[in-house]
Amino acid sequence: MPLISLQGLTKRYPGGVVALDGLTLDLEPGIIGLVGANGAGKSTLLKILLGLLPPTSGTAKVMDRDVVSQGLDIRQFVGYMPEHDCLPPDLSATDFVGHMARMSGLPGGAARERTAEVLRHVGLYEERYRAIGGYSTGMKQRVKLAQALVHDPRLLLLDEPTNGLDPAGRDEMLALVKRTGTEFGIAVIVASHLLGEIERVSQFLVAIDAGRLLRAAPIAEFTERTGILAVEVEEGHERLHDALVRRGLAATLDGRIVLVPLDDERPYDLVRDEIVGLDLALVRLEQRRKGLEDLFRDEVPA
Amino acid sequence: MSQVGVSGPGGNIYDLGYQSYDGPRLGRRAALMALFWSALRACYGLGRGGRAKIVPITLGILAILPAVLAVGISALAAQAPGGGQVLEDASPVRFSTYHGLIVILVMLFAAAQGPELFGRDQRYGVLPLYFSRVLTRIDYALAKTGGLWVALLLLILVPQVLLLGGRIFVAPDPVTGLQKELGSVPQFVAQALLTAGLLGALTALIASNTPRRAYATAIVIALFIIPPIIVALVGNLVGQDAARILVLFSPGDILDGTNAWIYGAIPDSEVVAALDLPGLVYVAAAVIGIVGATALTIRRYLTIRT
Repeated sequence: MPLISLQGLTKRYPGGVVALDGLTLDLEPGIIGLVGANGAGKSTLLKILLGLLPPTSGTAKVMDRDVVSQGLDIRQFVGYMPEHDCLPPDLSATDFVGHMARMSGLPGGAARERTAEVLRHVGLYEERYRAIGGYSTGMKQRVKLAQALVHDPRLLLLDEPTNGLDPAGRDEMLALVKRTGTEFGIAVIVASHLLGEIERVSQFLVAIDAGRLLRAAPIAEFTERTGILAVEVEEGHERLHDALVRRGLAATLDGRIVLVPLDDERPYDLVRDEIVGLDLALVRLEQRRKGLEDLFRDEVPA
Repeated sequence: MSQVGVSGPGGNIYDLGYQSYDGPRLGRRAALMALFWSALRACYGLGRGGRAKIVPITLGILAILPAVLAVGISALAAQAPGGGQVLEDASPVRFSTYHGLIVILVMLFAAAQGPELFGRDQRYGVLPLYFSRVLTRIDYALAKTGGLWVALLLLILVPQVLLLGGRIFVAPDPVTGLQKELGSVPQFVAQALLTAGLLGALTALIASNTPRRAYATAIVIALFIIPPIIVALVGNLVGQDAARILVLFSPGDILDGTNAWIYGAIPDSEVVAALDLPGLVYVAAAVIGIVGATALTIRRYLTIRT
């Protein structure tokens, strides 16, 4: 049984905007990255999975339950962290997260214990008794994650969890997401428009664009294919390029940098030999990973 | 789970890891009840800072004041032989007049507490967090409205229960006192249900559609204050028949009418008294208002985009 199963899922907003266009997809548990530009339909997909929005046509199942007819059943075991602000500033993190635990059906005592547990997990300690209004953005994001985790969901839906965070805050939030997904066995879907981030935490990647599925594959498959060797020499990059082409490599030029596709280990030796043979000064030799964005563009069927 | 430890001079810090939860999940009904209780508590500022308690507690004390004074005075009067009955008959504080004495306070309570109860979740974007849990949108609307209803009901009933207890206690013979007073109970409970119901339902409808707190408060107060003036003006300028229709859109006048009908008395407002409508019409208007406003509040939450 897949974690999530979509069949021709379509969402058309009143006014004609098509947010999702015939999405068919099966997803297994793990940390799943959902990437796409702003407006690609990521948030819409998450909201449909939660039963917050009805699909226009097609079906969506979460843990083998239909999102339209069994929404309550699903929501008992799903945690949701929305993209936008959702915290009342006058409550403390403890009071707010505890209240949200009750709203998920936990008894009072269990709600308090889970609140303490989950706030500790996201790294809020003494400050959890202070009003949220005085928190930094990073702390607010942690509270948002905590309220999504407090009822110990089987599936966590995170919408742009690093929104508004500084680089250090991003790293911490991503580490937290990764830990939540790998150590606790909670399936996670992270929606983001930042491919670099998604790449760091996800095991599986789903790319959508304008409501259509571009590609869904394990992250390893994406990175394997992006292996390109970038060679920078002080001068004579054209001579190097020509020489490599003569040796049968599909080398290309990107400005002053020679790009060599890495299908196996062979190009490393060839590049070394040619540089020595041509007596060039090597500045840098690195495996370049094409931006995932480029890759998606390549993968779009013509 | 993993037991990663950090050792330091002061001892060891153990990371116990994440504890999963295997306890009960009580589901929708428990969540609804928890939201209802938190709404009720919020109406009185419980669990909030001291400042949140000032308005509801002040209004609560003011609502109780007439009952306390009435009971205190009749207790004193009872000491004087023969003086009790005279003072009793002259007292302006009775079950039939209590509605008129405190209805402004009840309205102010609704106007002050309702907008915050409904508006904050919209203002701060909290609604998606509720709707992605085990509550339905209808549950949310009903739990919040129910919390406001019960808060208003307490505000109206507690003073009258005190008054009842005081009158029974002060009576020369508590048993006959009980028999004499008990008949008032269904009367003041009925009027309290209508008052809390109508003011609560209208406040819920206004506040759920007006996230800005100050506007919602102003609208609730205006809805209570302005229609009686219009009814009086129309009665004078256009005619009583037009006023008889308009009065059924004036919440304050409707409740005046139901109170007069329940106690077989004359409405407090001379304008309402002059219209001379059958009392049941006001009861019907109140019930329709309660049901209609609640239905529209539910519709608001069913259609609100999150």
